[in-house]
Amino acid sequence: MIPGKRRAAVMSFSLAMIGALLLQTVSSQNEPSIASSDHTSLPVEGDSYLLQCNLTSAHSVHQESYWMKNGEEIAETRSPNRNTEYFLKKPRGDAAGVYMCVYTFETAPPANATIEVKSAPDIIGHKRSENKNEGQVAVLYCKSTGYPYPIWNWRKFDNGFPREIDNSSGRFTISSRDNYTELHIANLDIDLDPGEYHCNATNMLGTRDEKIVLRVRSNLAPLWPLLGVLAEIIILIVIIVVYEKRKKPDDLQDDDDHAGPVKTNSTNNHKDKNLRQRNTN
Amino acid sequence: MSPAPADELGRKPLDGGWGWMVVVGAHISIGFAYSTPKVLSIFYKEIQENLGASSSEIAWISSIMLAAMYAGGPVSSMLVTRFGSRPIVMAGGLMCGVSMVTASFGNSMVYLYLCIGIIGGCGLSLNLNASLTIISKYFLVKRPLANGLAMAGSPVFLCLLAPLNQYLLYTYGWRGSFLILGGLMLNCCVAGALMRPVIASCKTSNCAPQKKVEDKPNESNTKLKESCMKSAKSFLDLTFFKDRGFVIYLIGSIMFIFGAYAPIVFLSAYAIDQGVDEFSAAYLLTIMGFVDMFVRPATGLIASSKRVRPRIQYFFSFALVFTGTVHLLCPMITVFKSYSYTFLATYAVFFGVGFGMVFALIFECLMDLMGNERFPSAVGLVTIIECFPMLLGPPAAGLLVDIFGDYKYLFFMCGTVILTGGLFLFIMNIYNYHMLEKEKPGKDGEQNQLNVESQEHVSALEVEMKHTPEAEMERSEPEAKEANGVQREPQPEKSAETPH
Repeated sequence: MIPGKRRAAVMSFSLAMIGALLLQTVSSQNEPSIASSDHTSLPVEGDSYLLQCNLTSAHSVHQESYWMKNGEEIAETRSPNRNTEYFLKKPRGDAAGVYMCVYTFETAPPANATIEVKSAPDIIGHKRSENKNEGQVAVLYCKSTGYPYPIWNWRKFDNGFPREIDNSSGRFTISSRDNYTELHIANLDIDLDPGEYHCNATNMLGTRDEKIVLRVRSNLAPLWPLLGVLAEIIILIVIIVVYEKRKKPDDLQDDDDHAGPVKTNSTNNHKDKNLRQRNTN
Repeated sequence: MSPAPADELGRKPLDGGWGWMVVVGAHISIGFAYSTPKVLSIFYKEIQENLGASSSEIAWISSIMLAAMYAGGPVSSMLVTRFGSRPIVMAGGLMCGVSMVTASFGNSMVYLYLCIGIIGGCGLSLNLNASLTIISKYFLVKRPLANGLAMAGSPVFLCLLAPLNQYLLYTYGWRGSFLILGGLMLNCCVAGALMRPVIASCKTSNCAPQKKVEDKPNESNTKLKESCMKSAKSFLDLTFFKDRGFVIYLIGSIMFIFGAYAPIVFLSAYAIDQGVDEFSAAYLLTIMGFVDMFVRPATGLIASSKRVRPRIQYFFSFALVFTGTVHLLCPMITVFKSYSYTFLATYAVFFGVGFGMVFALIFECLMDLMGNERFPSAVGLVTIIECFPMLLGPPAAGLLVDIFGDYKYLFFMCGTVILTGGLFLFIMNIYNYHMLEKEKPGKDGEQNQLNVESQEHVSALEVEMKHTPEAEMERSEPEAKEANGVQREPQPEKSAETPH
């Protein structure tokens, strides 16, 4: 290679490098920088935790700031300050999540910083027991709080021993999303399906279990009490009617008391008449 | 030879004996009639989930059932006068049972409306009317007591069916529960079997003469024979509206029914609004039902007594005034903020007392006014007219609550309406009895005299009822001595059937 050409290539290369570096520094200087609180996990020491964001440098005028939790804006957090805070007072499980302080600018896209508040999962929503008829669809669900969103697991407890759910019949469907999970059991079987089901939520900080009891009612179960009631009714009606039929001759006796003794009266009279007749005769 | 001569009097108001079994039958029948529409609400939540209905759609079931039960009155009274009580109650029980059983297979709301609402409601209306009629046939002297005992069926069955339905729902689901409930409602057929028909005809003018005296005497005798024929033929006897006593009673009872059910519907909500917890709020209605259970027979007992019986219409208006006052005093809870639950519980007790008193007397007073023959048609007419205030009362009260945002206006409205009804009845009854005395041709004190006579007659009857065979024998002794002196011939004095 000609020495002159080599020098030119090196120079253009280094120029390109310097240019890129410069560009980067310039662009990073254009980006606003936000100083934010650290990520934390619940429970916190003390009773509360303060989330802070400070807009330390920006190249354009900033409009306002607000907070978001899990992708949704928190109401009444908009303020024009560069230094913005969000106070978590006595944070419980549902306070966990991804918090973001967002700064909006007049002539630039908004900037944000993320603070993660983690906690172990806690199962808050579930039904203690579910009663369904056989052949129907049972939906068992569990709801949790905590961040990061847990991994869900469903198990069935047989005689105290946990077993994975046997989906060979294809009737079981598990759908889990973030903080919510559902177990659908189609075409309930009265022999196989009743029992204790456990939903299990696990994340990096902890694990939690909750129990749901499923009872399956037989479709023919109410027939036995029904037959019992019908039998009772028929027996009572028979007793009443028989009693009435047997009482009726007595009642008729009472009724025809005028008729009955009247008859005897008449026979007496006949006797009398006879007597008299005989007498007269 | 008349088959049962003044047995018209000696037999029809048996006032005891088998009559008490009839009261048991009426108790069961009326119990199912009044409590079924209310207790069905326990199943609503599960039916809603299962069939995907909204709350208002499902509430229609009870409303249609109640409306059918009340509106079926005239048809049922025509059937009762034609066929007697026993077959009608058995038919009613059968209808109810079949309706619940078919409803258990339902898959749409319209199907449920038809089965439970219409067929079930009609069955219940047959039950109600026939049970009341047969009480009037079996009792005279102790009729208010019999009525009180029979009407007590409503709170008793409410208290029985509510926990039973919870248990059935839990164990069998709503379909299985309806199946079993249908079977249980067939017990009305058993109740019907108990209602042995009374062999009596109302063709003679001897029909309960002293009752007619207390009625409007200027219409009694002619009206009696006419109405016997008429009630079998027409089922909407509008000539009742010419009867002053009937119109007064009707207005009073319409006003009561309008204000009666709204406090029950909103009591729990009001309690929760005042800061009571849900469980205790529901318990208030149980207190009310429990008190109601005992007050109804007690009121019947009081009304049967010698002093109150002739003034039973006034007792009825007193009961209305009492209930109205209790409602008006309820908003005073704001004075007792720290004891709100005790106050509400006391209110529930007094409400139960007032409610029980009114309902124990409501049909007794109609029987008192109308007499045995006109009662079935009268009660049919009254129930179909009462249908409207019953359906309009709670929604109107709810509207008040929505507009003003405060429950106290509900109690003010209900209390005022009932109180006004009671005062109206009281004043108009004074006027009515006054006019009756005036209308008696010429004889001023005859009303009083006849009343006194009728009371004596009634008490004589009472004595007679206790010693029927012996009394007959005593009375017939002179006749026996006349005839032979050997055979004792128990003959009632008005008997005209001695062959010799």
